[in-house]
Amino acid sequence: MSLFSSLQVSSSGMSAQRTRAELLVQNLANSETTRTPEGGPYRRQDVVFSTDQQASPFSAMFQNEVGTGVSVSDVVTDTRDPERRYMPGHPDADADGYVAFPRINPAEDMVDLLSSTRSYEANVAAISSVKDMISRSIDIMR
Amino acid sequence: MSLPIAPTSLSIPPITAPTAAPQSSPGGGAFQSAFADAVSKVDGFQQNAQASVDRFLSGEGEELHHVAIATQQAELSFQMFMQVRNKIVTAYQQVMQMQV
Amino acid sequence: MLDGITGNLERYIDLLSARQKLVASNIANADTPGYKTQDIDFQFEFMSLAKGQQPQVIQSQGLPEKPDGSNVNLDREARLLSENQMRFNLASVLVKSQLKTVHEAITGGSGS
Repeated sequence: MSLFSSLQVSSSGMSAQRTRAELLVQNLANSETTRTPEGGPYRRQDVVFSTDQQASPFSAMFQNEVGTGVSVSDVVTDTRDPERRYMPGHPDADADGYVAFPRINPAEDMVDLLSSTRSYEANVAAISSVKDMISRSIDIMR
Repeated sequence: MSLPIAPTSLSIPPITAPTAAPQSSPGGGAFQSAFADAVSKVDGFQQNAQASVDRFLSGEGEELHHVAIATQQAELSFQMFMQVRNKIVTAYQQVMQMQV
Repeated sequence: MLDGITGNLERYIDLLSARQKLVASNIANADTPGYKTQDIDFQFEFMSLAKGQQPQVIQSQGLPEKPDGSNVNLDREARLLSENQMRFNLASVLVKSQLKTVHEAITGGSGS
């Protein structure tokens, strides 16, 4: 795996963290949403990461210059029963006066968002470092 | 009380003369073969550098620093060769100008 | 005669600049609905392209599509921008180095 394809690996890490952050933000925004087009309250979504062979777009054959990057293989929706709160006057209340709310813990998602940000920054630092190494290798010839 | 400081001697290994050193002896054959040897070595470096660059450009996984070092080796060996050649020519001319 | 020395590198630089133009237009169209990421098949064009010919623009495969129909991944484009530039630096330094050797042979190494 050459230095250039490690750029691709870091970039795949950034994309994956970006997707994760988008979903976490979506969860936080919809933490009190009781109405969705599919019916029922909003259900929490999360990502599943998996390794992914990344070939550099400059490489000749797929076997060369291949790094192990990350990709989002699946977006899973929470299938647990929604949280039920007793609110008889609510427009979405059912016959017993209970309203179904999303089972989202905002504190948990905030912490996940922080960790996603840190991972993103770590990938950016890795890219900077690799770029520096490449520049210095080219400087040998100047 | 002062501790005597022993002077450290930095021993830099002397730069060894290249194989294409001029030989003024009548062993013309030895000189010729040494010269041809040097030419083929320099050419070897050049070929190596060119092959390294070609492999890198066609994406076959040549490492960047290999390319950098190979091209520098080629460049430097050629420069050294040129300088040695100049020295040889100068020495030859000086010998030819000598009053016998 | 000098063509054989830098021929390969010149084609490489041609393709790099073609790709960089496409990357720039991809980045500019990052929010355009329905825009598909454009690219060139680098290795294929490098092997087969004759001099002065323009490489064929293809659409990038394997990029996930966003709800508005565009499949531009900003991380990929930013990375390609940076990688292209570094490869360009490298190729230009290599050309300079090769031409310098020829120059030295011409001037006999005296630098005059």
